[in-house]
Amino acid sequence: MKNLRIGILSTAHVHADGFADILQRTPNIEILGFSEPDATRAEAFSSSTKLKHFATHAALMAEHPDAVIICSETSLHLPLTRLAARGGAHILCEKPIATTLEDALQMQDVCQAAGVKFMTAYPMRFDSSLISLKARLAQKDLGRVLAIIGINHAENPMHRRAWFANKHLAGGGAVMDHTVHLTDLYRWLLESEVRCVQAEVSNPFFPDLDIDSAGFATLILGTGETQVPASIDCSWSRPVGIYPRWGHLKLEVILEDGAFEIDAFANKLSLYSRRTPRIANWLGWGSDATTKMLGAFLDTVRHDTSVPVTWQDGYEGLRVALACYDSSDQAREVLL
Amino acid sequence: MRIGMIGLGLMGQVHLKAWQAAGAEVVALYDQNTIQTERLAREHNAKVCSLPELLELVDVVDICLPTPQHLEFTLLAAKAGKHVVCEKPMALTLEDATTMLESCQKAGVRLFIAHVVRFFEQYQTAANSIARGEIGALGTMRLKRCGYQPAKEGDNWFLDETRSGGVALDLMVHDFDVANWFAGLAGAGQVTRVFARSSRSLHPDAKGDVVLATLKFEHGAIAHLEGAWAYPKGVFRTGFDVAGTDGVIEWRSDDASSVQSFLPPVATGIAAVGLPILSGGADPYHLQIAHVKHAIKTNSPFLVTPEDALAALKIGLAVRESLHTGLVVNI
Repeated sequence: MKNLRIGILSTAHVHADGFADILQRTPNIEILGFSEPDATRAEAFSSSTKLKHFATHAALMAEHPDAVIICSETSLHLPLTRLAARGGAHILCEKPIATTLEDALQMQDVCQAAGVKFMTAYPMRFDSSLISLKARLAQKDLGRVLAIIGINHAENPMHRRAWFANKHLAGGGAVMDHTVHLTDLYRWLLESEVRCVQAEVSNPFFPDLDIDSAGFATLILGTGETQVPASIDCSWSRPVGIYPRWGHLKLEVILEDGAFEIDAFANKLSLYSRRTPRIANWLGWGSDATTKMLGAFLDTVRHDTSVPVTWQDGYEGLRVALACYDSSDQAREVLL
Repeated sequence: MRIGMIGLGLMGQVHLKAWQAAGAEVVALYDQNTIQTERLAREHNAKVCSLPELLELVDVVDICLPTPQHLEFTLLAAKAGKHVVCEKPMALTLEDATTMLESCQKAGVRLFIAHVVRFFEQYQTAANSIARGEIGALGTMRLKRCGYQPAKEGDNWFLDETRSGGVALDLMVHDFDVANWFAGLAGAGQVTRVFARSSRSLHPDAKGDVVLATLKFEHGAIAHLEGAWAYPKGVFRTGFDVAGTDGVIEWRSDDASSVQSFLPPVATGIAAVGLPILSGGADPYHLQIAHVKHAIKTNSPFLVTPEDALAALKIGLAVRESLHTGLVVNI
């Protein structure tokens, strides 16, 4: 089998290290390296991954990768998508896919024009607990779905990467960062679209920052008989450095004849140590959603099949995140 | 202290036992269900009375009736100069609640609304931590209270929203009060606006109901509340997550309790109306009634003022309005 040639465009995102780690354990690929114009970030990434560094994205693209993973600041997704698409590389892009709908639409255009695949990096669709929930709901034997309650609250990621709290680069704070995962899971589980969005967006946690740090959204998915109310907690509400882990992804589906609660990262050990940055730690095990997502992406590139998570999925998530801000500003429910 | 019980359904019987545990004398019982009331009177050495007899015999009237009757019986008790304990929600309208409050004030009697969740020790422990400033300024609150649909025999008034207020009023009013209480201790100010959606607002024929409500507070904190009468019979889950600038408090009824039983499966009876499972510590219903008794005896403040109960009702009514209109409702 021909080795796929893969590059990582930018290391701005906190997930870049994880991708590099998984790629290095993946057979039948050649990792060309990573591009990172920022010298400090480049040095840190080089020393942790031992991968080859390209000082510009163009230099990496000059190696003609088959596929790239875009891990830049969100506002740079469009220029990097353009660069990759024009270089004929298929794209796995971090979420949210852009900071504006205009950027997102242009990303779709450049990929279509170049004939490259674009996959949105929503790993939770590949999580075994959520896959089993989807299969269970598909039995449709428990009556109507009455409501979904979702929690994706977390630490403020800015202590790991400062740009997450920069409105210009990230497009927003907690709401931008953490509404898209659950939105996508709801669409995927219910096989319907978000129709209405209401949210309260606020910044109670970091008054010195010009960014939202808390958000509760209430969505309605589906139409008529299939309408389901669903809530999302995307807040950066876990105290930084004190909480045993970055946060949670949990959701509860209440049906007429039963209920399910998923805690996607429930498999964990508790470690209390003087030798770890945190005193109390939750060491996760058993969750390999990102590995499976990356594998699925590489398979679609290798076999020229359609991507399992599309640009449209990325776009719908972004629409909801942006609608949260509008709803909160205007104190009303926004129709999509 | 002589107590007269009005209404001896599930909550009435819980209160009756709590009064006895507090060392008060339950002397008079009044209820439409005469057979059950006769039995309870025999068991607890009390007397089945007419309403005038009851008002004659007692110092305190404890009203555990369906919500629409709270006003009428509170006014009668106040007029007779008796202190009043009354189940939550205080009433179905702000007008009724205000009339109750003012009538008791005018009559010089105390009014105690039984927001019993304030007496659950996990909630009190959280409140104390918030009051000590341990989580810093309040950022977000999540409050959960999800159970099964009340299956009261006979007249199941809970399911008639015009009489119970449904999930939003009958059940979630507990957490509206908790939200106000925690926010007050954290200096987060008042609730300024609410939004809510529910299964029933989208599907009037849905078998159960789940209400999702979001509250915004004056100084930027926000809260999300889940209330449900939807789970399979016997399941009742509660919890809270209160996050601030310096820390977070988490508690879930699913967490390990101090007693766990591992027994062969047997058919057990399920209460008609779900009540939180008690785990460790004192019985909150007993603590509540003991606190009422103490407040009357020593003429000292009660943890929940009638104004607090009115404020919780106000949020509940705004949530119901939002469910009906689909709009964000300002308070």
